[in-house]
Amino acid sequence: MIRPVASPEPLLELAGVSYAYADGSVGLAGCSLAIGRGSRNALIGANGSGKTTLFQHANGLLRPQAGQVSYGGQAVDYGRAGLRRLRSRVGMVFQNPDHQLFSASVREDVSFGPLNLGLSDAVVRRRVDAALEAVGMAAAADKAVHHLSFGQKKRVCIAGVLAMEPELLVLDEPMAGLDHGMQDELLAILDGLHGRGITLLLATHDIDFAYGWADAIHLMAAGRCVASLAAADLPAQGERLAAVGLPLPAVVAIHRVLAAKGLVPHQPPRSASELLAGLEIHLSPKETPCLVA
Amino acid sequence: MLIEDAAYGNRWRRVSPAAKAVFALAGLAAAFAAATPRAGLGVSLALVAATVFGARVPAGRYLRVAAPALFFLALSGLSLVFSLQPDGVGGGLAFRATAAGLESFATVGSRSLGALAAMLFLVLTTPLLDIMGLLRRCRTPEVLLEIMVLCYRSLFVFAAAVQDTRTAQAARLGYGSPRLALRSLGQLVANLTLQVWQRAQTLHGAALARNNDGPLRFLPASFAHGRRDVAAAAAAGVALIALARGMA
Repeated sequence: MIRPVASPEPLLELAGVSYAYADGSVGLAGCSLAIGRGSRNALIGANGSGKTTLFQHANGLLRPQAGQVSYGGQAVDYGRAGLRRLRSRVGMVFQNPDHQLFSASVREDVSFGPLNLGLSDAVVRRRVDAALEAVGMAAAADKAVHHLSFGQKKRVCIAGVLAMEPELLVLDEPMAGLDHGMQDELLAILDGLHGRGITLLLATHDIDFAYGWADAIHLMAAGRCVASLAAADLPAQGERLAAVGLPLPAVVAIHRVLAAKGLVPHQPPRSASELLAGLEIHLSPKETPCLVA
Repeated sequence: MLIEDAAYGNRWRRVSPAAKAVFALAGLAAAFAAATPRAGLGVSLALVAATVFGARVPAGRYLRVAAPALFFLALSGLSLVFSLQPDGVGGGLAFRATAAGLESFATVGSRSLGALAAMLFLVLTTPLLDIMGLLRRCRTPEVLLEIMVLCYRSLFVFAAAVQDTRTAQAARLGYGSPRLALRSLGQLVANLTLQVWQRAQTLHGAALARNNDGPLRFLPASFAHGRRDVAAAAAAGVALIALARGMA
């Protein structure tokens, strides 16, 4: 029995959304999904399963050919004013930073979104500084974009969207192309944003990362969301994962073996570090009572 | 990249671009005001000194950037110095250096050197982004600035795309012979055309995603001590013009 993700107040909702591209390829085929306000969501699926198409619907870049997209409980209005409202609330970070950054300087590019909102220069300047600070790029504000590393460009992309102060941040495979250290740094940034109340939805192929980080995991296959699961329930969903070609998180598989031997508690850990902590507690020498003569 | 590196790494990077533009314009005016080769060379040397010793642009990098322009200047000098004249023997024609040609080359050449030094001063001390910001403040039509911004950014994006494609071709012996090289080059150009189209579509989507509704708006860069810098540059510019007139 799958426990649906607890989302008392869905921020973004797709109901039976379908979209096919001009060349006939199917992007979404009756996709239904709800993203709860303030939650961390991971969208997992194979290449071509419809993740990017779904993201483009979230931001209003694509309009459903069938079904409905709702934001904040109301159907999205695809008029000029409605799209403006939606895009100021839903920020989208593209997978390839070179597809998103088109100004030549960091500060200019980050200012692009808030200036489009019609804010004054003084407010934009303040937001740009705050956004660059939030992603740890304040020192590179006056650099040229082409002088940045791939990871730095990704951060600038996030800053460019953060400066618009969105409620929902949608990130298309943010970890792709980043080394381990950069992934950790990006993770810290995302945790910081979540701490500020921003709802996060990201696409990933990494089930281990999704299990450790997300509150809710949405499985995509053939243009549909085949399951939305609370991440904590994932260990019991091996069959569901296998149906979309995903393995159980490695930490769950290892935990099962260790738990069967009684080496760790039965509660499945969410990460390798949690597993190690449980193991260390079990293996540490038991304290012996001190006998006072 | 030589120009880029110098523009971002020189000592006067944070000096107001308006001040540097004023000094460069004064340098151009001084070069045109230089009536003698001596004055033209004096102006050129002053501008080179300002770039190399003032802004601390390495002399080697300066020469490498100036080399192509100097080559073309020398080439044009040849056409000024030498002219086709009767050889005076058999009624034929021969190339000869003439005194008038030499004088003309000395005047034009020294002025051109001065103008070149003025332009190099500006581009080697000021990133193009700052120059674009300055043009925006000078009310240059938005559409021209947008084209400048997109071309400048695209230059680096496509340089990377060309490099990647070329490496991928070379790794599969795409440049193994002149015939293969020609074929690979054709494929590279065709592939790049497609990439330009796709990239334009993606960037349009990215702009829409950030609520763009037409004109591209960016926050202008701000520089501390702008007025002071412009005043100092104007004074230096006047001195440069006076030098050109004084040495004439």
